[in-house]
Amino acid sequence: MYTRVTEGVLIREFQRQVARLQRERVDLQDIVSSQKKLRAPSDDPVGAARATRLRGEARQLQALREGAGLGRAVLGAQDGALDQVSAILVRAREIATQLAGGLSSTANRQSAAEEVAELERGLLALANTPIAGRYLFGGLATGTAPFAAFDDPGFDPSTAYTGPAQPFSIRVATDETVRLTTPGNQVFGAAVVALDDLRQTLAAGSDPFASIDALRAASDTIVQERASVGGRLARLNDRDREIGSALDASRRLLADIEDADLTESIVELVQLDNVLNATLAAGRTLLETTILDYVRP
Amino acid sequence: MAFFAPLVIGRQGLVAHERALRVAGHNIANVNTPGYSRQRAEITAGHTDPSGYGTGSVVRGVSQSVDALLELRRLASTSTLSGATSGRDLLDRLQGLVPVGDTGLADALQRFFASANALATSPQDIAVRTELLSRGEQLAAQLRTTAGGVAILQREIDTRIDAAARDANGVLQTIALLNREIVAAGRGGLAGNDQRDARREALGQLAAALEVRVVEQEDGSVNVFAASGRALVLGPDAATLATEPDTSVVGLDGSALSKVGLRGGGGVVALSGDVGGAIGALLALRDETLPEVATQLDQLALTLRDAVNGIQTDPAGRDLDGLVGAAFFTGAGAADLTVSLADPRGIAAAQGGDPSDNTNALALAGLASASLAPLGGATFDEFFGALQSRVGEHARDADETATIEEMAAEALAAQRDAISGVSLEEEFVDLIRFQRGFQASAQLISVSNRLLDDLLGLVG
Repeated sequence: MYTRVTEGVLIREFQRQVARLQRERVDLQDIVSSQKKLRAPSDDPVGAARATRLRGEARQLQALREGAGLGRAVLGAQDGALDQVSAILVRAREIATQLAGGLSSTANRQSAAEEVAELERGLLALANTPIAGRYLFGGLATGTAPFAAFDDPGFDPSTAYTGPAQPFSIRVATDETVRLTTPGNQVFGAAVVALDDLRQTLAAGSDPFASIDALRAASDTIVQERASVGGRLARLNDRDREIGSALDASRRLLADIEDADLTESIVELVQLDNVLNATLAAGRTLLETTILDYVRP
Repeated sequence: MAFFAPLVIGRQGLVAHERALRVAGHNIANVNTPGYSRQRAEITAGHTDPSGYGTGSVVRGVSQSVDALLELRRLASTSTLSGATSGRDLLDRLQGLVPVGDTGLADALQRFFASANALATSPQDIAVRTELLSRGEQLAAQLRTTAGGVAILQREIDTRIDAAARDANGVLQTIALLNREIVAAGRGGLAGNDQRDARREALGQLAAALEVRVVEQEDGSVNVFAASGRALVLGPDAATLATEPDTSVVGLDGSALSKVGLRGGGGVVALSGDVGGAIGALLALRDETLPEVATQLDQLALTLRDAVNGIQTDPAGRDLDGLVGAAFFTGAGAADLTVSLADPRGIAAAQGGDPSDNTNALALAGLASASLAPLGGATFDEFFGALQSRVGEHARDADETATIEEMAAEALAAQRDAISGVSLEEEFVDLIRFQRGFQASAQLISVSNRLLDDLLGLVG
């Protein structure tokens, strides 16, 4: 300590202490009201950099999750459509099986051709199923339907598909994409041709025996595609859960860096108030004591 | 003669105590004067006469309580403190330009890439494309605002340097004038105490502006040198501290920055080396910290421009109309980055002829998490986070240095006060002491007078 303490030192020291306490008080007040301990990079320079990275990660995960949501809707709808297509092909195979061989009359076959035409119409409608204006089996494109309609003039089953030749994929992780679509011709090409062959064979009153194998092969393709859709849907569901956990972890880490412990801050604020009151009280005693009250020169 | 000696001694006692009271009064009157050093009337015993009797008291002079070495240490501390506090306030504003949380440049970057990701899921959706364009515009605007903020800060610092140099120049003149007055007072046998106090205050103001070395001469004047050794004040003569635009140093706003130096030879000769004090801290901020931040913002902006344009103008890329994309961003740096693409259909999200393809959009969205060679292998977020971290470190260092120096300066001020400060208690005790001495001397004259009356009564 100093050998001589003048009024100047007392006053300056008092002012400095009060100013310091007030500064700390304002700072704590700000922490309590914003509930953030990281308010500027200087509060925690390393934490600020980590927070920026975590925020970026969280926003990317959120974006991936939105993509995965669309993917789940698309694959779910594809699964439903493929299920109906399978039913159509089963029915077509039943017709072909029933009308194969010499027992069926030409008239029976020709009338069955009408039903097969309906099945073909239904298959093409399913192949052109849209979701929010985007074609499920047309690379999720908008605009013209990927398959020509059965009733289009000059309809040719072998060239019915005019959609994208490339599959449509979405990003589900930094380095992972999941395919949402298979070009429609690869899924339905064989089915459309087989159905159309069956229809024409029946319309001509001929034996549809040859169509049975073709229809079975087309069914196998649909089943394989359905299995693939199911696998990808499961992957997206898994990925959605993984993204959810990663987002939670990111948010927790971010909160550790950025968020204030409110209880701790309020307790500190109360303590600081007590210290400030005590300092002001002590300062009053100190500053009010003067030799002028004791000396009458 | 000996008979009148008590009268003479009484008179000298009156004079000595009256002067001592005057000095105490001067001290009391200056109790709150900044830089004032307490003074003492030096009362000593008068000569002994040939018969061995004392001749009373005399005031030999008025001295000051000053620790010269402590004053020099205070000057050095003032320079460091002033540098740290001017840096702290400005760095606080700099870190306001790279804020944490859901705001500022980092936020704009992240929103832009989130939009790119949305484009990858809906490449033909015009609403998504329009959003990506508008996010790009917001990102470019945020880069321009941040870079502009750094440039404005640099220009403001330059103006502050001008003002600080001008103020310091006035102080140099004051010191030279006080040197002259102190030397003149010395020739008249006076100490020039109050002028010395004023000069110490002036030196403190000068040290706040720039680091100085002070050498006191035998005649009482001081020579003042800058940290580089150049003379600022030599006795009664002061150099002229000035600034002039230095065309070789261009600021971030494209205009010349000032050079600080001494006027001479038809121009301003720059103060070389570390200038210290507020001017030194301002120069370091203006010439090192801010250009470094601006360079990194440019690096970020140009990498963004090149990476996005690289994907957008990829010859295999196609926009909604099946054309190769035009550049998305244009500009030579962060300060003038703009979105050059106006039509959302012009975003090349696809590769090949199929407009529903999202290959390019996936590549664009992938940039958000890509390690980029021009950024030293960092991602955009990591690079910007590192910039925030560096600015935060600068601000925190300045704050910590300022806090430590404030404490050191306060300790030195208290030490100075212990030596040179006026204590009212002491002065009031002295008042009583000198009052009593004065009263006793008056009493001595009264007694001597009565003795004289008695003597004269014998002959009367």
